[in-house]
Amino acid sequence: MQALTKFDGSEAALVHRHLHSHMPSDPALRVKALESLVVERGMVASETLDAWVEAYSEHIGPKRGAHVVARAWLDTSYRVRLLEDASEAIKEFGFEGHATGDLVAVANSDKAHNMVVCTLCSCYPFSILGMSPAWYKSSEYRARAVREPRQVLQEFGVDLPADTAVHVWDSTALQRYIVIPERPAGTDGWDENQLAAIVTRNSMIGTQRMLSLGPV
Amino acid sequence: MDGIHDLGGKQGYGPVAVDHSGHVQLDHWEARMWAIAQTCKASDWTGDWWRHITERIDPAVYLNIPYFEKWMLTYSTGFITSDLCSTDEVIAGHPKTLVPPPSAQSVADVLETVRTGGRAAGWTAPSGPIFDIGQNVHTKVDIDADHTRLPAYARGRTGQIIAHHGPVPLPDLNAKGITQPEHLYTVVFTARTLWGAAGSDIDTVRLDLWESYLDVS
Repeated sequence: MQALTKFDGSEAALVHRHLHSHMPSDPALRVKALESLVVERGMVASETLDAWVEAYSEHIGPKRGAHVVARAWLDTSYRVRLLEDASEAIKEFGFEGHATGDLVAVANSDKAHNMVVCTLCSCYPFSILGMSPAWYKSSEYRARAVREPRQVLQEFGVDLPADTAVHVWDSTALQRYIVIPERPAGTDGWDENQLAAIVTRNSMIGTQRMLSLGPV
Repeated sequence: MDGIHDLGGKQGYGPVAVDHSGHVQLDHWEARMWAIAQTCKASDWTGDWWRHITERIDPAVYLNIPYFEKWMLTYSTGFITSDLCSTDEVIAGHPKTLVPPPSAQSVADVLETVRTGGRAAGWTAPSGPIFDIGQNVHTKVDIDADHTRLPAYARGRTGQIIAHHGPVPLPDLNAKGITQPEHLYTVVFTARTLWGAAGSDIDTVRLDLWESYLDVS
């Protein structure tokens, strides 16, 4: 779309206030009106919006990240490649892309637990984890994750030993982070699909530490 | 600017609404807003300008509306301030003049767009890098910009460079439509440094910070 943007934040603030007080209060109605506008204005085809919704509801989600983690558990050389340059390593799956052009993988150990947040907005590695959960985007998580990560982890059911360090990664630039949880005991001989099935979304954000083997 | 969006370390927020599920399924209107956001923008927008529009939502509104409603306000405001639509057209939900839509993308097209959409350009900086890995740095206290990616909680603190990522456009200028790459680093701060005696002496917070945000310690 051709445009000449003025990049004037004060003007944007005025427009925000005007819109907020002149539009219907129901956000669903507000978005419905915006969709009619962009389609009738020729900015996008309605079918294209359908395709984007389907891509993220059916195809792109945390199963992708789970397979990356499972391969890192099974293949030491893959783990090394992933920790060195995760953006390159996920290309082996075709999972590169949207918001993950500068992906960084950080591995948990018995002495360190990693946890990811975006305090300034809601940056997230969409192409390998899909849509972000509501709690990740909440004021509570964004405010507290950097200041009291151990209390936040407790709310997620994670009770860390006092001598295990918490490393919180605040996504302030293009780098997006994925946590590589530790492989649980009792999974010897499992293949990549079996292992991927026990890797949870929260464990890859860092709000879960111990993975469960699931129903036996 | 020291806006409402800069939430890191702010106190008084309650428990996190914990959810252990996996694949997130959005409500219908949220998913439609997500799709609009992936497909509709002005040609000269930058990611930092888009973020700054969100930061300009009235503070009381910012904290109290659903996440994707913020996106709705951001895109509506963005369209208006780039003259893609008028305020009246946004409020009416219809344009004054109908324009035929572009050709439609299939799901396969979208998946390919996603796959090829992530790699940033190979930027170069006029000089630097100034700092070495392992070096201590001190973050600036005063940031004179509408938009910045140095959060308030990490200003005026001493940390250590642990990674160098090469040149990336400085967000403070990118939000103004000016592309000025400079060196980007990951800097680690101890929780004790950031939060005083309340902070653990083994826990850390790591941020990705541009050269302009840092001084030699």
